[in-house]
Amino acid sequence: MTLIAEHLNKRYGQTHAARDVSLTLRTGAVHAVVGENGAGKSTTLRMLAGAISPDNGEMTLDGVPYAPRSLVEATARGVALVHQEITINRVLSIAENIFMGNLRGYSRRFGVVKRKQMADAAQAVLDSIGVKISVTTNIERLNLGELKCVEIARAISSAPRTLLLDESTAYLDHREVDAVLNVLRQLKSQGMTIGFVSHHIHEVLAAADDLTILKDGQFVGSFKTAEMTPDEIHRLMVGRDFSQGTYPPRPPREIGDVPQAPVTLRVRDLAVGRELKGVSLEVRRGEILGIAGLKGAGAEALLAGIAGDEPLSSGAMQLAGRDYRPKNPRAGWQQGIAHMPGDRGNEGLIPEFSVLDNLIMARPPSRGPFFDRARARLLSEALIRQIGIRAEGPDAQCRSLSGGNMQKVLLGKCLAIGPELILLNNPTRGVDVGARVDIYRLIRQKAADGLSIILSSEDMPELIGMADHLIVLRRGVIAYEFSSMAGVEEHEVVRYMT
Amino acid sequence: MRVDLLRRSFPFLFLVVLIAVFSGFSSRFLSFDNLMTVLEQGTVLLVAALGMTFIIMAGSIDISVGSIVGIAALVAAVTADRLGVWAIVPAVMVGAACGLVNGLLLACGKVPSFIATMGTMVVYRGFVLLFTRGAPVPIEDDGFMASYSGYSMGISHAVMVGLALALVAWVIINYTVFGREVRAIGGGERVSILTGIAVTRVKICMYVLLGALCGIAGLLQGARTMAASAQLGGGLELDVIAAVVVGGTPLTGGLGSIVNTMLGVLIITLLSNGMNMTGVDPYLQSIIKGLVLICAVFITIDRKKIGIIK
Repeated sequence: MTLIAEHLNKRYGQTHAARDVSLTLRTGAVHAVVGENGAGKSTTLRMLAGAISPDNGEMTLDGVPYAPRSLVEATARGVALVHQEITINRVLSIAENIFMGNLRGYSRRFGVVKRKQMADAAQAVLDSIGVKISVTTNIERLNLGELKCVEIARAISSAPRTLLLDESTAYLDHREVDAVLNVLRQLKSQGMTIGFVSHHIHEVLAAADDLTILKDGQFVGSFKTAEMTPDEIHRLMVGRDFSQGTYPPRPPREIGDVPQAPVTLRVRDLAVGRELKGVSLEVRRGEILGIAGLKGAGAEALLAGIAGDEPLSSGAMQLAGRDYRPKNPRAGWQQGIAHMPGDRGNEGLIPEFSVLDNLIMARPPSRGPFFDRARARLLSEALIRQIGIRAEGPDAQCRSLSGGNMQKVLLGKCLAIGPELILLNNPTRGVDVGARVDIYRLIRQKAADGLSIILSSEDMPELIGMADHLIVLRRGVIAYEFSSMAGVEEHEVVRYMT
Repeated sequence: MRVDLLRRSFPFLFLVVLIAVFSGFSSRFLSFDNLMTVLEQGTVLLVAALGMTFIIMAGSIDISVGSIVGIAALVAAVTADRLGVWAIVPAVMVGAACGLVNGLLLACGKVPSFIATMGTMVVYRGFVLLFTRGAPVPIEDDGFMASYSGYSMGISHAVMVGLALALVAWVIINYTVFGREVRAIGGGERVSILTGIAVTRVKICMYVLLGALCGIAGLLQGARTMAASAQLGGGLELDVIAAVVVGGTPLTGGLGSIVNTMLGVLIITLLSNGMNMTGVDPYLQSIIKGLVLICAVFITIDRKKIGIIK
């Protein structure tokens, strides 16, 4: 089955998620769609799969027009999707998960399930794609890679001729990735048309025949992987013009003189949760440390561990020389570490509350048990002026502010406690250019005043423009450390991320 | 915008409608005597509802309040002849202890508040039944009765206590850091945790506060009926929650005020009072109260934040 897409476009309000994307999925071939975060890969794939509808553009399946209005319609036409997130229900059995969309097909009169038949059929599907799991295995014992294979089996159970996988290897380790790629090879040899989205260039080169590159929602080109080198792919993925003046200049460094500001935070062999396996780093006063990494590489876990939001599996931290082992985020704030989470609507601000309420939330000015409203007002007005928050006043509801201003309020909340260290998670996500410039200027100024900053971001230009040092995480460990950002180009960083 | 306006004006509108309907049916409804009676009838409800306001603003619930009131009344009755007026101390302490258990279950045990307090509701009532074996415990101490069901200058002591507590609660919610934290937890618990608010501590404190207030409510109710019966306070939770919600505090949390609650208490009490006065069948009264509650929740709830009540 050949799936051809031509000039697909998709907008979400102001954001042009996908622009003029055309690609061809050939029978019995694996086609990878690559690009950075926000490049439009998932959007494109979901349009092919029927999960969303393109604003314009056309698609055909074997020459017949194809415009599915839902995933179900697409599946009926022979196109199946494996989602990015794990959609396994751990309470059900493997067979039940595989046939989740079609349990009726295995029921007798009165809805009684034909268990043995379903189990046999499930095993047959698993065997057909070369997955060595027995259906009788307890689903709790499967690792993430095996769960992904069960999801692939579910997609296969509808007998599609095209299989689409949305970033299926994001959270998997090496062996699990190999298992999934093997399944794809098996399917390919059976004549299946396969499209998959991935960040990991090495996987793409290993498994894909064709390759489409997207950048900032724009279609860059389609290529045969055999003709591409990793470097060329990186350049096409990220090469863009640096807008001069967006990033404030760094303070000049004396040559030959090693700058030795005191170390604010020292981290040794930190392991957090499943993602972060062992990282050591140091941040000094006045320094901006950048953290780069793909989803699942450990950047979020690192920040969560330092902030006190997640417990450490192993390792130790020292804050200004003293042992630092936060039991909860409160301990982090009390010791002078401010945390700006990546999801401002759900984790950073309470949108229904006023600007003032949000600004002083971490340390409300008080006289004994009583809230000092006058001081709170003075403080919030000062912050609004200092940061340049565009709102009607401290009592304006945060919900009514633009994304950029909400982000400024979040930053204000962090600065309000006079912190020693700020953890920034994607501080300009969804923020317009004007507000970005303000935020960057403020961050650089605070660094000059002595504040230590850890900046984790998916925005490559931002990391390169703002960070003094950069750590690249890959699969839970440090892949590379840039001690200076002079002359560093994006594709160099991306190379270590993937 | 219009929805917001409806949500905020609903209690006032309802109050106006209530007064209009009942004064139409009975000329005695708006008399001074009746209004005084309404205030007295509503005091126990008010005291409990003050505490419930904190809980609901934080996005949780407590359906054991009726049982805590029952246990507190029993403690007051039992200690009244030896402690007289000071029976209030053990009553409040026992109430606070019950609240502490609720708070620990929720904040430390992470049992969702609805389930936790459903369990303790039965347990606390069970203690009352166990102790009383179904027979009421009379209160005979004169000092006790004079203080808690007496009158000074024509105003019932109970009403004075109720209004004083309302003032204290108002100050706590609007002027203390604790009050802001309660509101923040209801507005966004995940945000509150990540911003360093001591969520566990605040939750436990608010349940202890509710328990202590129920202690006072139980004491006042016991004084009114001159005895602590086995079923005293039974079903109070419906009225308390209805009062808070009808007053305009949404179950989803984050918004609300003491004034709202006082309005809600007034509405619920007037509703009962009016229905009695116009001779509405007592069973029908329950149905009507239930419908009012559903209506109020329907109008005030913030549908963007619906999840399981924690």
